[in-house]
Amino acid sequence: MVNVTYVAKKILGLLVTIFLVLSFNFYLFRILPGNPFTLLYRGASLPPEAKRDLNAQFGLDQPLWVQYLIYMRNTASGNFGISYQTHASVLGLVVPSLINTVVLLSVASAISIGGGILIGMIAAWRRGSRIDVTFSAATLVMYSMPTFWLGLVLLFVGVIYLGLPVGEMWTISFGTVDMLTQFADLMRHMILPLLTLVLGLVGQYVLVMKGALLDVFTEDYMITARAKGISNRKLLWDHGFRNAILPMMTLVALNLGLSIGGAIQTETVFSWPGMGLLIYRSILARDYPVLQGAFLMVTIAVIFANFIADMLYPFLDPRVASK
Amino acid sequence: MTSTTMQIGSVRGQNTTFTVGWAAATMDTLNPTAMTLADGGAYNVIHAIYDTLVRSDENGSPIPGLSVSWTYKDPTTVDFQLVHNATWHDGTPFTSDDVVFTINLFLAHKEFPLMRTYVQTMKSVQALDKYSIEIVTTKPDATLMDFRLFGLIILPKHIWEPIANYTTYTNDNPIGTGPFKFVKWGGPNTFVQFDANTNYFNGSPKFDHLVLRYFTSYNAMALAIQSGEIDYAGPLFTPALVPTLTSASGVQVITRPDPRYYYFDFNAYPGGSGNPALRDKNVRIALSHAIDNVALSQVVWAGFALPQNTTIPLALGDWVNPNTPSYAFDLKLAAQMLDAAGYKVGSDGVRVGPNGVRLALKIEVPSNYAEEYRAAQTIANWWKQIGVDATPMITEIGAFADNSVNWKFDTYIWVWSAGATLDPDWFVSMFQSTEAQPAPNPGLSDSGMSNSTYDALYQLQISQTDPNQRRQTIWKMQDIIHQEAAYVGLYDPLAVQAFRSDRFMGIPAGKLPPLNQFATNNLLLKIGPLSAPVATSQTMATSMTESTTAAPAMGMSTETLTALVVAVVLIIAVVAFAAKRRKSPPKGR
Repeated sequence: MVNVTYVAKKILGLLVTIFLVLSFNFYLFRILPGNPFTLLYRGASLPPEAKRDLNAQFGLDQPLWVQYLIYMRNTASGNFGISYQTHASVLGLVVPSLINTVVLLSVASAISIGGGILIGMIAAWRRGSRIDVTFSAATLVMYSMPTFWLGLVLLFVGVIYLGLPVGEMWTISFGTVDMLTQFADLMRHMILPLLTLVLGLVGQYVLVMKGALLDVFTEDYMITARAKGISNRKLLWDHGFRNAILPMMTLVALNLGLSIGGAIQTETVFSWPGMGLLIYRSILARDYPVLQGAFLMVTIAVIFANFIADMLYPFLDPRVASK
Repeated sequence: MTSTTMQIGSVRGQNTTFTVGWAAATMDTLNPTAMTLADGGAYNVIHAIYDTLVRSDENGSPIPGLSVSWTYKDPTTVDFQLVHNATWHDGTPFTSDDVVFTINLFLAHKEFPLMRTYVQTMKSVQALDKYSIEIVTTKPDATLMDFRLFGLIILPKHIWEPIANYTTYTNDNPIGTGPFKFVKWGGPNTFVQFDANTNYFNGSPKFDHLVLRYFTSYNAMALAIQSGEIDYAGPLFTPALVPTLTSASGVQVITRPDPRYYYFDFNAYPGGSGNPALRDKNVRIALSHAIDNVALSQVVWAGFALPQNTTIPLALGDWVNPNTPSYAFDLKLAAQMLDAAGYKVGSDGVRVGPNGVRLALKIEVPSNYAEEYRAAQTIANWWKQIGVDATPMITEIGAFADNSVNWKFDTYIWVWSAGATLDPDWFVSMFQSTEAQPAPNPGLSDSGMSNSTYDALYQLQISQTDPNQRRQTIWKMQDIIHQEAAYVGLYDPLAVQAFRSDRFMGIPAGKLPPLNQFATNNLLLKIGPLSAPVATSQTMATSMTESTTAAPAMGMSTETLTALVVAVVLIIAVVAFAAKRRKSPPKGR
């Protein structure tokens, strides 16, 4: 049933988008004031020749369009270059950070989305009641709390009163450790950053779900269904939820894609070695190759997430016919 | 969590681990030839694994490393006797071949950012026999022993000679002669693990394992040392965290002057775009009279900084000229001097000089030293009182550095930090006229100072291998900088560090902070578990009880606590308000 031409056109569109984003990013980073080697030079008592040589070594003394062509050619052949700071391969830096971020954010997103949907549904169904006001107000308050501050408060409470670790992903060990202990260790390290993220994220899902569901309640078919004597539960799930989930899907797809960029504030508080921290550090150091590699990952992730959402949409809503 | 296979930085029986927390620049590379920053996170790691010919003692003076002794045959030729019993971590014996190979490698590769600096004055090196070498410099270099050789990592010839591309070599399994053997690196922004090198020629470290943990937040690190996850924390806690650290039980706080200083800079470069009034020395002197660095050290650092007028950090000891005068804080005098210089107060309260130049000046602060913004504001307030329209602002560090090298600023506050040495050469180099160049090839100067006497003295001091003579020269140079009013010295902050004195002992005395950019091995080789084990049952639970009985509001400033209380009250208020409503829920429409 899948139309091959349709999919092929979609994929072509994706590739064009990626190309445009890469080009835009390339110029964007180089427009930033500051050169990668200006600060190094000052901090290391490097002789002036060193700065010139570093510039030349990384091709920064070439005209911009030459650098652009070299970059495009390298990227197309899978060569993402090396970091200006560490000389490590960009992929070697970006991929582990990406994995660490995905581990944390996928769990956080799953809990936030699931929780947001449930709470949003309860709030919409019991609109105006104590439960609705409490939940809506509470999630709004937490959504507006600054993440950094929330993280520090949770860190303080967690470390001092609950004996949780101060940060990072693992406890350092000097022997072999079995898988179960490793997993338990990861969980212990993940609780606080997870909590920080979930408390911050759940608010938007609650609001969108509640709003979408309330919109659905105003539809005529809901009155019809009630008149037909359909039970509350069937009304809420089969009729309400299945229609309200469609706008939610778009939000979820977008957020999941963007979350690959990491959660910089949470990662800073908890020293979680993810994409957010990597990007932040690379911006400060003007480490163009790492930035380009990282942003390429985020671009691909967002586009891919939207692509999946596009493909799934007809299954959720058969009224949408794919041409 | 008391699993027997995991050690969380505490003392357990025979297998001791010393865990160091580091919240400055993180670990970025295991390859010494790729190191760019002398204060990057890699420095401590590399110097734990590898050795140098000489190393720094706790006061910045050279002591034997891989060399036992050295003699100057003439001002440009130095012979070194090497240790006989050093071995590489893979068992191969260390010989003079390794030193010769390393120095020639660095001489041949100008693209090694940091290592090339260390061989910059070297002409050649040769092995005299299996355990002695001779280095010849191009001219007498006073910084050879206490700067260049501190950082010159000696690499194993048998491993590094066959490598094809040094730039991309990741050195995943570094082999050195140093006191610690590399075990594992968790990846960028994480930790590094080491085992003690029990065969170290200078004596084995007193504990079995070392961990260097990189934190991105000093707040988190303060909690970590309280809870016992780490045993030593540094290098530069903010003064705000001092009450937290001092109130935690088992934690000892160490404060020593850090080898760096903050300064106020005037852009007096004639080819730049700073306010031209600053090119008049009398204007600079007048404005210097309107900066009170003692007051500023209180405002910004709450007393955790030593005010200094000179342009060499006080931490450098007797390289600092105690007799260099300062421009006393005197707003009336400053106003008089500005009048005399031809800058009369206009109708809007701002002085205007000859050629209609308005005394409107920006005072910039780089974003990574945002705490200095309060200093900038305070200075702006003083200057407003003498008819100068001063605007304090924070500029993002990349743009700030750009402005600096392009001479596109009026005044700013910045820092000079000892790269990897207490040698004064670094701190006096940026005042040479040759360092004041326009982009695209700027030098180190950001003041634009150009004084031929100073330039001559600079060339002199760098070749004076007699420290007493050199000191006289360095002192004279500081006087000239003062006369030129190139900078206004502000302060030398104290390095605040913390350590679990209930588990370890052996903090080195001396004037350097124990954990610092370049002499951390003094700490690592001297520290050992407490001989009377007070804390043999040091588990998480014990740390918890200790902490909860300590002073309240630990780890939280008053503002945070207030905000928390406000948030809780808000939530309670909303719930209470909701409880008053008695509407029944709608069931569709």
